[in-house]
Amino acid sequence: MSTSSVKSATALERQSSNGQGLTASGKVRKEVPLPSQEKKEGAMQYVLTTLDQVTNWARQSSLWPMTFGLACCAVEMMHLSTPRYDQDRLGIIFRASPRQSDVMIVAGTLTNKMAPALRQVYDQMPDPRWVISMGSCANGGGYYHYSYSVVRGCDRIVPVDVYVPGCPPTSEALMYGIFQLQKKMRHTRITRMWYRR
Amino acid sequence: MSTVLRTLRNLRRIGLKDFGHQMQNIGDTKAGTLIGVDRFGNKYYENMEEELPLRTRWVDYKVNWPEFQPDQIEPGWHAWISYMVDTPPTVDKLLQPGQRTWEIPEHRPNPTFSRAAFKTYSTTRPKLSAWTPVAAPR
Repeated sequence: MSTSSVKSATALERQSSNGQGLTASGKVRKEVPLPSQEKKEGAMQYVLTTLDQVTNWARQSSLWPMTFGLACCAVEMMHLSTPRYDQDRLGIIFRASPRQSDVMIVAGTLTNKMAPALRQVYDQMPDPRWVISMGSCANGGGYYHYSYSVVRGCDRIVPVDVYVPGCPPTSEALMYGIFQLQKKMRHTRITRMWYRR
Repeated sequence: MSTVLRTLRNLRRIGLKDFGHQMQNIGDTKAGTLIGVDRFGNKYYENMEEELPLRTRWVDYKVNWPEFQPDQIEPGWHAWISYMVDTPPTVDKLLQPGQRTWEIPEHRPNPTFSRAAFKTYSTTRPKLSAWTPVAAPR
């Protein structure tokens, strides 16, 4: 049993001369509400919120991934589609064509030779599209970080939404990453952002 | 995969209120014994006789669909619901929360996509100094 106590993060926060809190870089701390914390104003916002909810529900409940299986992570990705984890119940069906898919799961080591192909496949996907980086190698090179032929993270090639850590991540970890992506989709403001302009 | 008969049988056993709640949240009807409630407020159920293997233990989340997440399950209960242990934290002293001094008093779910989410920062002094470029007048 350890005897160390929990230290709160506020003890580290610095104070400026006029009593305002300072950030780590020395600037005055500004509290800005998150998009999810903003209140709805007027009837139009309520209508648009419902529209967004319908769209986001449709997006998150039929998630068609483009499988970019590159290494051993792909085996765990296959396990996700087998009966134990059963991705079909979540509406996730693997598509072999990038033109029919909305999320790309980059599973495994991305080599320099494969990088142009990855970018091309990503460019062929229709909007809206998301990318899940699966495993240490796709996240940041991992074991092959110092290799001469490996891209140090697939986020150097494509914008990544969710990073799933692990070497390889379990199927449960990948499924949790998909849940996080669905959470991100749920909180996307599509028509509300359009209306704000 | 649920059948109509099973759904109706469980509807008779759990009542209309729980039926609506379960159909809204898990999309299935399940009847079982309440094993315990964790600090977050999730309820854990078990039915070892009638349910299929790996479906005998389930959780009724405190947060409603679609905002519930598996990270809202406490660590001890996670071990129980994933069949890592046989006894729930209500019985097993080692799995109970709040036993160790370094534990935080409440359960905190994953703060990803919230204000408390982790952000990378550097504590080292930058080795390069940037300048503001000034265009020479022509």
